Amino acid sequence: MIEEIASGPAAIPAAKRGSSIGAQILALAWRAADFRIGLAVLAFLILASLLGPSVLGLSATKMDVANRFAPPIFLEGGTWKHILGTDQLGRDLLIRSLIGLRNALLIGTISTIGMFILGSTIGLVAGYFGKTVDLVLMRITDAQMAIPVIILAITILGVSRPNPVTIILVLVLAGWPAYARVVRSVTMSERRKEYVRASTILGASSIRVMLQQIAPNILPPVAFVALLDVARMMIFEAIFGFIGIGIQPPTPTFGTIIADGTKYLLNAWWITTIPGLLLALCLCSINLMGGALERARNTLLRGQ
Amino acid sequence: MFALNFLLRRIVQGIVIIGLVTLLIFTLLRVVPGDPVRIMLGPMVAPSVMEQVATELGLRDPIPVQFGRYMLQVMKGDLGHSFIRNAQGGSTGGSRGGETFDLQNRAKVSELIANTIPYSILLAALAILFTVLISFPLGFVAGVYSGKWPDRLSLYVSSVLVSLPNVWLGIVLILLLSAWGGILPAIGYNGPSYAILPALVLAIELAPVMIRSIAVSVANSLQENYVSVGEVRGIKRRRMITHHVLRNASIPLLNLFGIQVIGMLLGSLFVVEYIFNYPGVGLLMINAVFQRDFPIIQAIAMLSSAVLVCVNILVDLAATNIDRRLQY
Amino acid sequence: MQTNRSVLNVSQLSVDIEGRERRRILNEISFTLEADTVLGIIGQSGSGKTVLSRALVNWLRPPLRISGGSILFKGVDLATVNETAMQQLRGREIAYIGSDPANALDPTLPIGRQIAEKLMSVENDLARDAADRRVLQMLDAVRIPSSRQRFHEFPFQFSGGMMQRVMIVDALITNPAFLVADNITQPLDVTIAAQILRLLKELQRDFRTSTVFVSSALGVVAEIADRVIVLAHGEVVEQQGMHGLLDRPTHEYTRRLISEMPKIWGEEPLPTAVETPASETVLSVRDVSKTYSERDRNRFFVWNHIQAVRGVSFDVFRGENLGIIGESGCGKSTLSRLLGRVEAPDTGQIEFLGKDIAHMGRRQLLGLRKKFQLLLQDPFNAIPPHLTIGRTIAEPLYIQGGTSSVEVEKRVRATMIEVGLQEDLYDLLPVGLSAGQRQRVNIARAMVLDPELLILDETLSALDQVEQAKLIELFGDIQKRRGITYIYISHDLSLVRRVCNRIAVMYLGRVVELASNTDIFFNPQHPYTRALLSAVPAIEERRYLPETYLMEGEPPSPINIPAGCSFRSRCPLPIEICASVDPKLSATPSDGYAACHLITPIAQSTINS
Repeated sequence: MIEEIASGPAAIPAAKRGSSIGAQILALAWRAADFRIGLAVLAFLILASLLGPSVLGLSATKMDVANRFAPPIFLEGGTWKHILGTDQLGRDLLIRSLIGLRNALLIGTISTIGMFILGSTIGLVAGYFGKTVDLVLMRITDAQMAIPVIILAITILGVSRPNPVTIILVLVLAGWPAYARVVRSVTMSERRKEYVRASTILGASSIRVMLQQIAPNILPPVAFVALLDVARMMIFEAIFGFIGIGIQPPTPTFGTIIADGTKYLLNAWWITTIPGLLLALCLCSINLMGGALERARNTLLRGQ
Repeated sequence: MFALNFLLRRIVQGIVIIGLVTLLIFTLLRVVPGDPVRIMLGPMVAPSVMEQVATELGLRDPIPVQFGRYMLQVMKGDLGHSFIRNAQGGSTGGSRGGETFDLQNRAKVSELIANTIPYSILLAALAILFTVLISFPLGFVAGVYSGKWPDRLSLYVSSVLVSLPNVWLGIVLILLLSAWGGILPAIGYNGPSYAILPALVLAIELAPVMIRSIAVSVANSLQENYVSVGEVRGIKRRRMITHHVLRNASIPLLNLFGIQVIGMLLGSLFVVEYIFNYPGVGLLMINAVFQRDFPIIQAIAMLSSAVLVCVNILVDLAATNIDRRLQY
Repeated sequence: MQTNRSVLNVSQLSVDIEGRERRRILNEISFTLEADTVLGIIGQSGSGKTVLSRALVNWLRPPLRISGGSILFKGVDLATVNETAMQQLRGREIAYIGSDPANALDPTLPIGRQIAEKLMSVENDLARDAADRRVLQMLDAVRIPSSRQRFHEFPFQFSGGMMQRVMIVDALITNPAFLVADNITQPLDVTIAAQILRLLKELQRDFRTSTVFVSSALGVVAEIADRVIVLAHGEVVEQQGMHGLLDRPTHEYTRRLISEMPKIWGEEPLPTAVETPASETVLSVRDVSKTYSERDRNRFFVWNHIQAVRGVSFDVFRGENLGIIGESGCGKSTLSRLLGRVEAPDTGQIEFLGKDIAHMGRRQLLGLRKKFQLLLQDPFNAIPPHLTIGRTIAEPLYIQGGTSSVEVEKRVRATMIEVGLQEDLYDLLPVGLSAGQRQRVNIARAMVLDPELLILDETLSALDQVEQAKLIELFGDIQKRRGITYIYISHDLSLVRRVCNRIAVMYLGRVVELASNTDIFFNPQHPYTRALLSAVPAIEERRYLPETYLMEGEPPSPINIPAGCSFRSRCPLPIEICASVDPKLSATPSDGYAACHLITPIAQSTINS
């Protein structure tokens, strides 16, 4: 009785009758101010990283030895020409940061999508079939999880020649097990639900049950929270760059900008700190959105 | 009986996992381009000599043969010798080594690890301590006042902390606290105080995960029926939280700690040691990667997966002790 | 203690739910609880009875709030008392038992320790071992077997009935003046619920605890209450002595409540069920068994074998309604999964229209699936939440293939009309449908293929009496129109009494009795059938008394089934042979079958042979 009152349709205000679970999560997350703020900041940063370089008309790789260590605009000696200043080779830091941001976003997004697809497929299969299939797949997952991402990455990337494709492959390889685990456990509980059993009773094939009945119900909530992993992967991209196993110079990445700046930390501290701040801002906007989506998902799943 | 059965099964599983991890790293090292002999001997050496050394080292045998030989050696307790570093410490640049390459002159991997691991343990322990100090109060309060302002606050604090890339944060802290502030030493190791700053960077990276998880599991535990029933049974809420809610909330937390937090800590330890030039296992590993020093890479990868596996077993054993349902 | 002294005085009690708009849940409730008596509160779901029972112990949580009136207990108004003072009363003077014993205690600690914890926090100066001793005494008093060992066991190791006994211990150990029992038998099986009720009655007499007993089942309240309050839509509609209420109900609502109470012996079954069915066999089940294996975590390389179904045989004839009844754990759900071929049996044959489907592959089965369908229990989870209602009902047609999409839509719409669903639901998602509508979607999905046999696994259990009656009527209509055959699998005796021609009674994976509807209810042969009948909550005169037929104890575990007759441990009339020889299902004098040594074997023929 109390439960009826407390968790009736009124308790989930955003749940529109007749909309899919994905739409419900989005609608509920949209009500949170931090989601909208995060989205606005992220949209601005994405636009800036796409349009900025051509609007400003500067090159990210052109050296200008006369203008080395130019300070950013808000410090004494800063000019509008180089708003965030220049690095040890006189390259404009704003342009380098924006291009670095674009590369980071691309790598983060593509690798997250990749690990989501790979992990979900394996998790769905393991959770649906159970028994030996599950046992084998889960042991592989365990083994994969027993290697910290960084160790796997530095081993592969450090020994071979890193390029964007290998970086993405390494991240996918390191990141899929988490998805496999989550998707497996929700698949297992979903498989026991009566609507899935009902479908089996009607004679539906395994593939049909998995793709048509289970996947549309369980994957959207997982997919939204994957947004948080885009930020995580961008951090990894920066770490790789810092160690020297990321995208190779002269293409700018946050990691190499930060690493370059450390040598001049005392006389040109902005080389490291300000581009890093831009990256942190971008990550924060993604994390705010991801956090809001996660809360929305938890509210909805609890309400069901 | 249960504990013994459980331990045996988990140890066997663990050994299989460590074996798989080692095989994976072993294979990857030999499949991806980059020949260690070139770095060992330097660029001036004739290809015939390189081939001879490579053959002597067994690097031209099929991978399964090499792996079998390596595992046999490991089982005897021998992790092998470094390709690059000599027994006196420090690495010999290949150019000096010339044609008289003798593995016995090189440092034993086990000694290299034994020399560096105390530093890493100090750093890791300090990092865990800081993480607990930051995340427990924040997470607990957020969980008890779920949905109210402490929860919001902890959410935003962790959203910001999780957005700070450790490579950048490390440099910024060096600049602020060490270079400008002069409060804490950084770079290298010259006493335990050198571990504080890197440990802080690690803690800031781990704390958000812990804060959110503690908040969620305390909040979920509080939602359990027995908590509110406890009140009507005559047990005070404070006692309910200290004796029952925390106990129940610790189970998902232990799991998270065993799988995620320790994994993150191990990975980030390597990066942070590199940033701070801190002489631990991570720095040894990263340098070994650049020098294609296979025996060191293999040993450290094996070691870190062994640490993860052991922590996992301990955590699971603890969890089954707290909640007997997990035994069934 | 004096008689006729009141313990609790409730006057003008109102409870509101606060929110964007305030809504009244309870309106000006007034009653008095006399010392040493049981006051029954009867109300259907939504009547506010759980809110009332929580309000009585000042245990309402926002958004619910007491908005007026008083609850006087020993001179203290519980409606306005502060939390600290209430804390002093709860657990000590006032006790509460709820309907969810499985989740009432911390799952990670032994039950004995938790009851002792409560006792010690209520009685401050009690030593640990003294508390433990008192807990043990009480565990014995509620007849929990091997109490010394069970003291150290965890909540999940207890069955629902045993756990409810534990909660009774927890409530009564402080000898409270006043107890609220909120729907305590609701989740339990009938025989277990009857045991608990009997126990509570005895304890109430011994401890002289004034009790408020809340339930939605009139039959249960009638067992125990001295006086009764009828609650409807948050208001008291009638209040009088128990006997008076049954004999001379004054309010219209009460009269309807009593008339809607299903009668087992006092009413004839529905006419559809009694028409003589044709003798053509539709489904023939022969010696079907299913065992599940589960690793024993405490021993190496040992697997426990859970014998869910043990050699079940029966026939189903065209046009009849066969009932399969039993309590939880009797194997009826496993049997339904075997009959619906969700799973394959380990041994035995299931012949459907002359073909053995027991081990057929999915593709071979697909064609036959048009002709038999299984309807599941839970109307809320049986429908995929992400597909439109029309699409859901069309699913079997798509799986079977070969129907054009125009034809599919035509057939789906026709079926929707036949089962009483509005056609404009076709393009909507199932969110917001009522339980009855959902169950109709379910039925439509099964009917769209025009099956000959429909297996209903607790299909009507989740619905209220009114909706249940409507669907029974619908099933009857469809049967008349299409000549369909039904198997009703249920725990609800009154339901199978109303609709079935023949009934099989299951216990621990076996059919222990199979006979005509009349014989099962008027002349049952197996002692378990009689125990079941004695335990049904009813307001009519019982043919079989619990004092005679309902023993203490619970069914043995399906992992270690003892030799001999599996009902022996709870049988009122065990004889020597029962301990060693497992009785076979044999013909009874009245043309049925029963598995009991007490029945003189007329012929050695069993339907197994």
